[in-house]
Order: sequence, then structure tokens, then C-alpha cells
Amino acid sequence: MTVATAVVPAPGFWDGGDGSPPTRGLEAGLARALADRFGLDDVAVVVVPFPDIAGGDLGGADIALTQMTPTRERERDVDFTTPYLSTPPGVLVARYGEGAGARDAEDLRELRWVVVRSTTLTGVVEDRIRPERDPVEVDDRPAALDQVSDGDADALLLDLAVAQGLAEEPDLGFEVAGQLTGDEGLAVVLPEGSDNREAVDSAVRAFKADGTIDDLVDRWLGGSADDVPLIRVND
Amino acid sequence: MPVLFALEAPSGPAVEFVVVFAVVLLGPVVVERLGIPGIVGLLIGGFVIGPHGLGAIGSGNQTVPQLGQLGLLYLMFVAGLELDLGVLAANRRTAFVFALITFTLPFAGGLAVGSALGWELPASLLLGSLLASHTLITYPIFREAGRAADRGVATAVGATVLTDTLALVVLAGVSGSETGSGSTAVVLGEILLGLVVLGVAGLWALPRLALYALRAWGGDRAARYMVAVVSFLALAVLAEVFGIEGIVGAFVAGLALNRLVPNEGPSMDRIEFFGSAVFIPVFLVSVGLLLDPSVMFSAETLRIAGLIVAACMGGKAIAVLIARPLLGFTPPEAGAAFALTSPQAAATLAATLVGFDIGLFGTTVVNAVLVLILVSITVSTLVARRYAARLPPPERDAGALGRRVLLATRRGGPSPGVVAVVDRLARPDGGVVDVVVVHVEGEDVLPPAEARALERRLFRGALDGSVRCQVSSVLPRAVTMAALSTEPSLVVVEVGADDDAEYWAEGPALADSAPVVLVYGEPPHRPHRVTVEDPTATGTGAVAEIAARLGRRVVPAAGHTEPGRGEVVVRALASWDALDGIGVPAAGALLAVLPALDTLDGG
Repeated sequence: MTVATAVVPAPGFWDGGDGSPPTRGLEAGLARALADRFGLDDVAVVVVPFPDIAGGDLGGADIALTQMTPTRERERDVDFTTPYLSTPPGVLVARYGEGAGARDAEDLRELRWVVVRSTTLTGVVEDRIRPERDPVEVDDRPAALDQVSDGDADALLLDLAVAQGLAEEPDLGFEVAGQLTGDEGLAVVLPEGSDNREAVDSAVRAFKADGTIDDLVDRWLGGSADDVPLIRVND
Repeated sequence: MPVLFALEAPSGPAVEFVVVFAVVLLGPVVVERLGIPGIVGLLIGGFVIGPHGLGAIGSGNQTVPQLGQLGLLYLMFVAGLELDLGVLAANRRTAFVFALITFTLPFAGGLAVGSALGWELPASLLLGSLLASHTLITYPIFREAGRAADRGVATAVGATVLTDTLALVVLAGVSGSETGSGSTAVVLGEILLGLVVLGVAGLWALPRLALYALRAWGGDRAARYMVAVVSFLALAVLAEVFGIEGIVGAFVAGLALNRLVPNEGPSMDRIEFFGSAVFIPVFLVSVGLLLDPSVMFSAETLRIAGLIVAACMGGKAIAVLIARPLLGFTPPEAGAAFALTSPQAAATLAATLVGFDIGLFGTTVVNAVLVLILVSITVSTLVARRYAARLPPPERDAGALGRRVLLATRRGGPSPGVVAVVDRLARPDGGVVDVVVVHVEGEDVLPPAEARALERRLFRGALDGSVRCQVSSVLPRAVTMAALSTEPSLVVVEVGADDDAEYWAEGPALADSAPVVLVYGEPPHRPHRVTVEDPTATGTGAVAEIAARLGRRVVPAAGHTEPGRGEVVVRALASWDALDGIGVPAAGALLAVLPALDTLDGG
């Protein structure tokens, strides 16, 4: 089975540790579970830019696992399964940066934000947080993380589960300042009209029901979302 | 035009709720104009707004499915609550036999279809169980035609208790084995233990806890409703602890509260109102989101749909054909039984959704089941209308003694002793109590606030009912007028010292169809003795029943006797004239009972 993803390593989701093939993380584990269910031995990983996957080009892969949220626009070009994970937006900041002390909507508005083009969370920053300064726009998540790490931006909005995965890695120097209200689902992506959609969809639901997903979340994403403070912004 | 530029495309939960509730409002209205049941409009409406329709609710949306999940639990709770256990008890033999037949044949058919399609055993078992259950969607047609007490109808209704319970037991086993961890033996042991715990919690503990809660807070309508809500959610959670689907717990909670929430009472009204207005429609809309025409009308889906329609409808039809000679059904009774047991809706959808959620079924099967639902509802509705008209009118059926008790009292409300009497008379049948506060013309009418306070006082415990006022020149006439509108199974009148017996002799038609109990004096809360005068007199069946419900120690007496302290005397009357000379006793209470006149010889 060939799986496409946009970012490797993606702590908590795809990680190979010391440069080896990415077999660690929630989505890596989910890919392995899918392969096992369908009786497939190998999981090959290809890296494809996020906008390409969202646009329907999975680089020849059977599925894509890249923390993608189903939207009406994306559903025109690709098929989605039932979301395997629901997660609210989370505010990722540098552990000792300006954003670390953000506690309320006013604090969030004063921060310098970086947003990634073509993600659903860009609109959340612009419409709900409404920062005082225009956010910096970058093409992909690694570039956005660099902005925060380098101090060029104070905060980045990610799916909370993704943010928690990054914060779990002590060497990266990130922390989650808070979560916003509202859930977004992360789903498996398939080429439009894929014959595998129903089988993969049923498998995802089975993994949610039998605790496979919960086990992967506990193992790779660490703490519960309930432990992250809620910041109310323009709800 | 800066103002226009400031406008934003709507998004967020409020928009989703507007869209969903617009479908809840309009879906049934539109399809019912075409003669199609409203449930179909909700399913189609769900499709229209869903990811395969206009896309107003995307496939990643979590809000609607989560609200739908609550609706599913609510639906199963109401299913358990609405089941008429009295009908089951009255027709237990035929209901049991018919339940076994009408469960087994479609179950076997589903199992065979699953095997033929190459499914794994758990998926085949689940298909069998969902085809074996049924939803009483056509029951209102028979009820409104006055045929609810018909033998074929009553047998099918009673059988529903068993078929749905059996189907949910199979569902519990299948879903538990699919989602549980550990060996098959461990998982099955866990499920078995869970079912035992659910049985004990639901049928022993919950009714007692609910009764305790109702006594503490039952005077408040909202609290009364919330006792029901918390009950079904608690049992759903308890079921899930043992790896059993929450709907099984919700259904058991419905059975547990069945007697405490009478079908005709205001508490049931509120539960049904919120269910039918919000929770259950949202569940059906959430199911409609899964409807995908490109899947539904594919050759594969239609092939599966054809097979399961044949297995289900064929199985139900053969079950009726077998039951007809076995149980002595007439052709209209057999038609009614088929019309009641063939519709697939709530229980089928619930089991299908569980199968979908645990990955046993894909969207193809869900869409095939939706075809089955559309076909079965349409066919059964047509059959029900045809046979409801052909069933003979039933002989008058007053139903259980305490089914609907009319309590007539004066301003200030009934005494605690009379309330206790009514409680004992109504509770064994899960009955409703309509309290009528009678005002003699010229008296000030009870203000609404006082009526509400009276309602809170009376319905703080297990009793369920309502309070209203009736103005008339004399008590008997007021009671008669109230009885005409409530059609009680029993009338209880608290007679004051000033109420002259001569008015009763005017011969109100009050006792034509229901026994009347006139209470003289203050009944003790727990009478240590109940004396029945002249127990061999004509028409004393109801008298004996009333006496038996009032106390454990019932003793006969040959002639008239005066009640002592802490005692109740029950006196059977042959006519209103026999009231002459009866007055309020010095101690205890005298209950003068006029049995329903049409049960008396020559009556």
C-alpha cells in the first residue's frame, strides 16, 4: 500500500526517528493498521505537497494521510473517509516566546501570526482571532514552524492534535498556549472515485469503534485535549 | 457600497442548525403532501443538505452526527417507553409464539443473504437481526381507526417487545465481539455480564431510583422530564461500560420507566414532543446525510437491496401465513399483523447505524437498507389502511381499571388520603390521573397559579396527570361533563359533607362505561384493613379489584358495616338510589362503588 503525506517528519503523525523511513506516529500507525486489515505487507510512503493532494494529485498513492480536513472545495477533487480524529484548533507558540503567556482573545490579537496558504485554519485566524497585524503567509507548515522558531512570528494555528504532537517533541521548543472552540475532522484522503473508498471508510470506522485510534492517539499525541486551556474568541 | 463588502458568508454551528431544522420542518410537510410518510422526507432532506447533495453539511461535520447519536438513543428510549406492556401481558401466549416466528424467519433470511454475499458471520448476524426487528410505524393507523384492541393488532404489538429485545441482544453480541478486546470467550462473558447488570439496573434499580427522584422533584415538569433523560443516558453509558451498544441501555431504560410514564400522560407528551420535534428528526436527517444516489442506484446496491427486501418482507409475510392457522387469525387480522411487523424504520436504522459505525457495513449496505425502509414503510402503510378498514369493530374495551382515573374534587384539591387511594388504583396499570376541581356556579374559579401549585403537590410522586377546573351547578353534573371529555376507566369522587346524595339520583350517565367510586371520609394512608361488603353481589368484579388494590388485608362482611379508625369499607352499589343514607363516617373512609352499569345484569 502506498501512502502520500505532505510533511515528513511530522511529529506525532509521521516520524522516522533518526532518518529512517517514517513508521512512528498516529498516521503511520493508522497506515499500518489499514495495511494489516487488507492483508498487505508493505507500506510505502511518498511525500507530495499538501496543495497537490488537496487538488487530487496523490502522486500515485492509494491513500493520503496528511492531517487533512474535509471541505466542500476539496471534496470536488478527492474523496474522504469518515474523520478518524476530531480536533479543535490549537495555538502553537515558542516555549519561551511572546505567545507563551497568551490567555485570552486580547492576548491572541496582539501576537504576530503566521498562516499557511491553502489550509482551513487560515480563515479562522483572519475571521475569529482578527490579529492587529496582518499575518505572515507561507507556503507550507515547515516554513511556518521556522517562522515561530526563529521568532519572526509568535503563533501558528494548527489542529490541536498536530500542535500537541509538535509540543511533545522537547527539542523543537514549542508549546500549546490554548485551544479554540469548534472541531475539525481529520480524514483519510483517496483519489476521487476510488474503488477503495468504502473499504477504507469502513476500516476507519472499525478502528474508531474498537479503540485502535484511541490507542494511537494515547501513544503518539500524549495529553488529552481537555488539559489544554480554552481561549474564547469571537464564537 | 462599504456595507455590502462587510457582509460575510454564513458559517458555523448556527448555520448548520438552521439548515438541519429547516429540513426537520419542511421535509415531512413536503412528502406528506405526496402521500408519503414524513420519515422519508427527513431522510431525503438529509441527503439534500448532505455531502452528496448540496453540501451544506460536509462529510467532516461532527455536530449533526453527534446530535443524531443523541437522537438515536432518544429514539430507542421512546421505543421502550411506548411499548404497551399491558397488551403484551394480555396476549402473552399468542404474542410470544408470533414473536418467535416473525423474528426467526427474517433473521434466517438475513443470515442467508449475508452468507450468499460472502460477508463475515458478524455482519450476516447483524443483518439478520435488523431484518427481524420492526417498528410500529403503522400502529397509529389502527389506533385511530379504533382497532388497537383487535387480536391481530394486539398480538403484533405485544410481539414487538420480544422481537426488538431479541434483535438488540444479537446486536449487543455482535458489536461487543467486534469492538471488545480480549478473547471471544472473554468478550462474550463481558457482554453476558453486561446484559445481566443492565437487566438488574434497568428492571429493578432504575424504577426505584426514578420513583425516589420523582417523589423528590416530580412536581416540577422540567425535573420530571430530566429524570427520564438522565435515566436513559445513564443506562446507555452503563451498557457501553460492558461493551454493549448504548441503544440497548436506552431501550432497557424505556422498558424500566414504562409504568412510571403512562402513554397517555403529560410526561409522555413532553417526552414525545421533544423527541418528535428535535431529537428523532435530527437523527433521521443525520442518516439521510449518508444517502448517496450514486451508491443507492448502483447495480450492486440495488442487488443487495433486492435481496434484503425479499428476505425481510418475505420472511415477515411467511411468518404471518404460518401464524394464521396456528393462532387462528382471520384474514384481516393476519393483514393487520403483517402491516404492523413489516415496517422497517427505527430499530432497523439503529442497528444499521451501529453496523456502519463499527465498520461492519459500508455505505452500500446503508443505502440498501434505506431502500428497504422506503419500500417497507410504503407497502405496510398501504396494507395497514386496507386492513384497518376491514377489521371488525371491537367490543367495548374499557381497558385496565386504572388506565385513566378521573378524580373529582372540590377547591383546595383532594385530601392526602384520597390521593393515596388514587395512586393505589392507578399505579398497577401505569395509569394517568385527570384531576377535575369542581366549582359550583358563583364560586371563584381556581387561579392558574393555585392550579399549578395543586398540580405540583399531586404529581410530585409516581402519579402522572393534569389538573383542570370545571364549573357546574352541582357536583355530579360537573363530573359527568369532565368524564365525557376524558373517557376514564375509573371515576373517583371525593364527596364532601355538603354534597347531597339526591343529586346523584338524578341519574347522570356517568357510570355507563366506567366504575364510579364515591369517597366518604378521609381514607387512611395505609389502611390496616379493607372490608368488602356483600362480596357475592352482582357486578362486584371491579369492587373486588378496587379493594385488592387498596390494601393487603381484605376481609368480607355480610352486611353494612361502619369503618373503624385506619379502616376502609368498600360498598358495592346496585344503583344511584342506593346512595341514600350514606354519609361521611366518624372514622376511616367508606368507598361506595357503582360498577360500570353495562357490567350489571340488565345494565
